Amino acid sequence: MANHAIPHHPGLIGTGPGQAVRRDGDASGERAGSGAATPAAGARVRRSHPGGHAGWLIAPATLWLFVFLLVPLASIFVFSFFTSTGHGMAPEPTIKNYVDYFEVEGFFDPEARKFLKPSVFLSTLGTTFRFALTVMALCLLVGYPIAYFLALQVQAFKWQLALFLLCMVPFWTSYLIRAVAWLPMLGRRGLLNRALVELGIVEKPVSFLLYSEFGYTMALVQLYVVLCVGPIFFSLAKIDRQILEAARDMGASAFQIFREIIVPLSLPGVAIGMIFIFVMLMGEFASAVVVYGGKISTVGTVILNYYTFANYPFAAVNALMLMVAMMIGVIVILRVVDIRKQL
Amino acid sequence: MPAKPRKSAEARRRTLVKSGFGVYFVVFLVFIYGPMFAMFILSFQGPKGGTGFPMRGVSLFWWDKLIQPSTVGDLKGALVRSVILALIVMVITALFSTMLGMAFRRPFRGSGALFYTIMAGLMVPGVLLSLGLATLLKQLGLSPAWWSSGLGVHVVWTLPFGFLVMMAVFNRFDASLEEAARDMGAGEWTVFREVTLPLILPGIVAAGLFGFTLSYDEFARTTLLAGEFNTLPLDINASMTQRIRPTLFALGTASTIFSLLMIGLFLLVYTIIYRRTQ
Amino acid sequence: MSDKSLHRRGRTRRQFLGDSAKITAAGALAGGFPHIARGNDGIRTIGLAVSIINEIQGKASEDLGFSIRGQALGYGAMVGKMLNQNDQYEVAEGYFNDMDVMIPSKVWQPIDTQRIPEWEKVTDLAKTGRLTPESKPGQGDAPFRHLWLDADGNRVEGPSRYISMLPGWHNADSLGYNPEETGRPIESWAELFSEDFAGQVALLNAPQIGVMDAALGVEGLGIFQFGDKGNMTREEIDFLIDFLIEKKEAGHFRAFWETFGQSVNLMLNGEVVLESMWSPAVTAIKAEGVPCVYAFPKEGMRGWHGGCAISARAEGAALDQAYEYLNWWLDGWAGAFVARQGYYMSVPDNVQKHLEPEEWDYWYAGKPAAKELPDPYGTIIVPEGEVRDGGSYWDRFSNIAVWNSLMDENDYLVERWTEFLNA
Repeated sequence: MANHAIPHHPGLIGTGPGQAVRRDGDASGERAGSGAATPAAGARVRRSHPGGHAGWLIAPATLWLFVFLLVPLASIFVFSFFTSTGHGMAPEPTIKNYVDYFEVEGFFDPEARKFLKPSVFLSTLGTTFRFALTVMALCLLVGYPIAYFLALQVQAFKWQLALFLLCMVPFWTSYLIRAVAWLPMLGRRGLLNRALVELGIVEKPVSFLLYSEFGYTMALVQLYVVLCVGPIFFSLAKIDRQILEAARDMGASAFQIFREIIVPLSLPGVAIGMIFIFVMLMGEFASAVVVYGGKISTVGTVILNYYTFANYPFAAVNALMLMVAMMIGVIVILRVVDIRKQL
Repeated sequence: MPAKPRKSAEARRRTLVKSGFGVYFVVFLVFIYGPMFAMFILSFQGPKGGTGFPMRGVSLFWWDKLIQPSTVGDLKGALVRSVILALIVMVITALFSTMLGMAFRRPFRGSGALFYTIMAGLMVPGVLLSLGLATLLKQLGLSPAWWSSGLGVHVVWTLPFGFLVMMAVFNRFDASLEEAARDMGAGEWTVFREVTLPLILPGIVAAGLFGFTLSYDEFARTTLLAGEFNTLPLDINASMTQRIRPTLFALGTASTIFSLLMIGLFLLVYTIIYRRTQ
Repeated sequence: MSDKSLHRRGRTRRQFLGDSAKITAAGALAGGFPHIARGNDGIRTIGLAVSIINEIQGKASEDLGFSIRGQALGYGAMVGKMLNQNDQYEVAEGYFNDMDVMIPSKVWQPIDTQRIPEWEKVTDLAKTGRLTPESKPGQGDAPFRHLWLDADGNRVEGPSRYISMLPGWHNADSLGYNPEETGRPIESWAELFSEDFAGQVALLNAPQIGVMDAALGVEGLGIFQFGDKGNMTREEIDFLIDFLIEKKEAGHFRAFWETFGQSVNLMLNGEVVLESMWSPAVTAIKAEGVPCVYAFPKEGMRGWHGGCAISARAEGAALDQAYEYLNWWLDGWAGAFVARQGYYMSVPDNVQKHLEPEEWDYWYAGKPAAKELPDPYGTIIVPEGEVRDGGSYWDRFSNIAVWNSLMDENDYLVERWTEFLNA
């Protein structure tokens, strides 16, 4: 795409043909390291002379993050060791909140209802995680072809951007409104049910569309799919079409080109898109209420419930555990695709 | 001439594939615009109708309500505040993301720590971030406001998105062009402005767009940090304790139409500039 | 009308700007005591959209001659702000069921009833729990259990000179149902669990309140008796949640609603035929032409009570203005305004002065509407001849089974409720 932005420098952006084949090789052997002998690595050594340090580039953002993220985060950490008083918290250190989080009454008692079961909070985390994985997979399935279409089928940069923005538009409506808007769509008297009845597919309106796992999953895909279309589109758009032409001329089949060139080159975009959707879904709390009719509790809901009635320490523990789970998820994704490799 | 029929068969196949993707794209648009569609129709609900089907007449009643002063909260004021806030967040996100993206092109000490600190902004649950900062502000005797503390946590939330977009942009980024410019004696700033910037501009725009979108929609982080004036999501949340009216749908439709107009305008401006540079 | 209110708002904003300039100057001169100087530019009040309505605070500003700026919030955001940022408001329009959090944290100051001239007119519902001598007070966080304080803000056995919050708007909730769909009148909470409505029932998704509706239903079924539904023991919570999990796994519940609007939409869109509901929600559904009846269950209703509290940080002129605003609420205009939305006010005598006789008869006295009646904004919502479900104010509030409450075992309750939702 970038080569369309500046038409007078065609082919100089992104990867050259030779490079692509090489990258392809090391991307399929994911953790193979950065291939020190490559021209890019050589360039990096040469590049390091001017410009000096990254200091002034990172200073403003670092300062900002320190004030508005690290300091509050530290206080959340401290709160998690405070004692809940029933109307707030007292600075008396305790690990009770953590014990409460993990402890299960009758875990070792074969007679008990909760024999060998995880705590409510852990299983909520598990449920949230399971939903996140499902929706991530669906978003990838639905979104990848869209990104592919935008990046490699649409020719003009202008139209690429226009169509991409068209996909972004629903995202600019408050998600509270968007979630509410699913109701007249999926409800018993909704548009979809009416269509189904009128087409004679069902006799009377079905109720599994809304307030169900089905409706919830669908709404989440609709709400978040654009988050993965964006990054995948960006990494695909950087692929030089001359490589694809060259591969085609050398007799590679469409599937081979897709598997050997396109997929590896789009992996960073996929990884970033998955990270976006993953964190959004793990923190989700509003859609579950509106679209699933509150028939499921997410970690976000649990945190809000304890927060509302001032049990801040326990809300903090839940928040930190959620962060740990998210961090693990993100690290796993980055392990599979190292987006920081060869920058 | 055996190559020619092969070529035309190939062209036919490609057109077919392309139209297949085109159809899929339209289906996709229908999917993501689906709820918008119901929302659009229902915003013209009759005065006696509600936020669901059936329609009880067709009217501009709810659009009119949207223009008139609201009974709960201050929809217009909140909208203005949210848009201003989102614009500021957009600029800061684009700027910081670009700077960080540039910095991360080369390894530097503490880059791993900084990377995961930025990522932590994605992960920290909003209400608690808001509680943590609010507690500190109180201790310092400072008052929160949407344009100060609110802005602070919004950027914490949007920055990782913009940053990751920039990571994608700089990933496998070919530096030879910059090298060439440098070899020709261009200074660092000139290299950036003349060579790097045009290449990464789409990424910067995307980072800014993420910033705008996510800030405009942010609710949880703002709860204790907006101060005395509500942002739009806070206002919508407050009005949920009342009856949900089709006014909400009129608002949603209005913002959708506004966005579409902006895209149209953007295309127009782009075309004009493109023609001029040609 | 809209022109007028636009004008009004413009004026107050200009006033506000001018005054804040004055305050900045005054603050600079006085060496900066922004909180003391604060009173000059009016006061801030926060609460739910139930009482924070532009028309109400606008009228109060007009009547009192200083600006009262309302900030409406969602429930969680409201409690969080009340508890953590009492420097961000002078008046808190809160609810008595949050008092176990608010009183011990001392974020509000005790209100001196000697500065409330109309205090005598406030009914006994809030003071003793008995609106009439025969009525039963109801279990749970009834206002009278959280009302009385000493001068330092500690709880005392009432009556005393100081109170935690000036009792204001209140209501009794029960079940709403669509009579065409249920095919029979609903007269007991037990119907929530009736097999006839399986898959078409919704419950309120706030653990603290949802369990009470469920508990009333279980008691109605006659399978369990709670010691105190407003403050259950762990064993009682366990029994109830286990019962609910069984029901949920059988697909009994269509949804759990969290906001007023959701409850309305559930019924309007035909998703449910029976659900726990607030009375104005029933009014809203009927106004859209869908039949809906507000049940008057024999077990009694679930009450809740809101009011105005004053921040511990309010002092000087701001404190005086806060008192003026509180007294303004008791004057009756605001009570009449909320009455047209279906809420009751703690000073019915004063409200009556601001309602037309037909309105009073319908909203408070439980008589048929002698003519069409409007909501506060002039839209007709009550057809002629209709009778309000649940009888008169006195009937309704003589039979409160339980008040919205915050239990001692709240943390455990939330844990089990989470388990229920994920079952």
